[in-house]
Amino acid sequence: MVAFRHSDTSGRTTGLLLRCVLYSLLALGLIIVDKRYDHLGKIRRLLSIAAYPVQVAVASPFEGWNWFRESVTTRDALREDKTKLEAELRVAQFRLQRFEALEAESQRLRALRDSTAGVADKFLVAEVMDVDLDAFRERVLVDKGARDGVFVGQAVLDAGGVFGQVARVEQLTSEVILVSDAAHAIPVQVNRNGLRTIAVGTGDTGRLKLPYLSTSADVIAGDLLVTSGLGGGFPAGYPVGTIATVKRDPSQSLAEVDVKPAAALDRSRELLLVWLKPQTAPPPAAPGAPAAPAAPAATPAAPAKSVPSHRSGAGAK
Amino acid sequence: MMRDNRIRRLPMALSALVALALAVLPLPAVLAAFRPDFLVLVVFYWSIESPRAGGLALAFVSGLALDVIQGVVLGQHALALTLMAAWATHLRLRVRVFSVLSQCLTVFALLTGYQFVLFWVDGATGNPVTTFSRWLAPIIGALIWPLLAGTLSRLHER
Repeated sequence: MVAFRHSDTSGRTTGLLLRCVLYSLLALGLIIVDKRYDHLGKIRRLLSIAAYPVQVAVASPFEGWNWFRESVTTRDALREDKTKLEAELRVAQFRLQRFEALEAESQRLRALRDSTAGVADKFLVAEVMDVDLDAFRERVLVDKGARDGVFVGQAVLDAGGVFGQVARVEQLTSEVILVSDAAHAIPVQVNRNGLRTIAVGTGDTGRLKLPYLSTSADVIAGDLLVTSGLGGGFPAGYPVGTIATVKRDPSQSLAEVDVKPAAALDRSRELLLVWLKPQTAPPPAAPGAPAAPAAPAATPAAPAKSVPSHRSGAGAK
Repeated sequence: MMRDNRIRRLPMALSALVALALAVLPLPAVLAAFRPDFLVLVVFYWSIESPRAGGLALAFVSGLALDVIQGVVLGQHALALTLMAAWATHLRLRVRVFSVLSQCLTVFALLTGYQFVLFWVDGATGNPVTTFSRWLAPIIGALIWPLLAGTLSRLHER
């Protein structure tokens, strides 16, 4: 069934071992240099430009199909869509009426507290490219890169809430690590009572967890988690998820809390890249900042942990 | 001799490119874990069939391409693929006369070794993958080996 042509029948391949050792050492050297030092960014960027045609070639049939489907939509379907969107817009406008007043109020209160939580300044819409990266990591490729000013660690949102952050920037594309990646952590706050903690990804698209809450922490299923803005990577106040289950085992010191992410991590195609407003006042020492009742050790770790460990090496275990 | 090699390299490069495209082809999340490592299988095939035409250089370059496309530590797939292609080259004379079943088992062993090197580099660079589904790929790869090797040898004969 499997017929080899035996075109290369000589029993010897000269210096196989030598060449194997040589290439392996080269690869090991690459791994070490890439991991320890950041000198390979340029090389990687060049190589990724070479890989871009493959990615585009793979993605284009799917995009073509989407375009075709869009262009043959019937008038009725469009009308239906329009009615639905109008209804949604009306609801959104009702909600928005008080938003500006509330935002101004929030700014005033923050100024009083000398709080430095970041505020979103500029948005850019990026589209998820139809290519699969590693199947075992929660990452997607988007069609904006260094050319558009994207930077590593940039916050990424979708219509539902926080989606993730930029892990790697190439010239034309960048890789977004989802909040559900096992190597991702994000500083959050329970909206109901302001309890601060860290939400860590599980490697499972529909689930985050809060591993640093004590069994006595005041959380219940259904609580909304929003970004706390600590660490400076994410703008404050965007929804991250809702608490799905809380398991309290009296023999353990920490509670097991599962969170359902707010963003449509497996479905969103349009994402928002966020630029934070530059802070005018330097961050004070925050003497009056309320201490979190739970997980005091977790908060200082937030800035380091919120960076994807792929680059920083601060891997979540 | 030179000419001979050049003729043989075209199907090699072509199949590697197609396999690379298959590696990034979007699949539903459910199926993604079952995606066989096409490029790895193609490299194994050429390592067994004509190691002197491409051999380890093909393995190294393909591995590097996988590294760049998947965005992992540069050199990870290159290392794994080089080592396993060398092993495949070492075994090639035996593999060529093996029955289909024995070939599949050999490929299974090679793929498992490949995943193990990846697993090891993942752990050593502090970026561990915790799911068990990565160990599915060797089984799937071994199952489609007869199909893939048959297709490639057909292509090669042209």
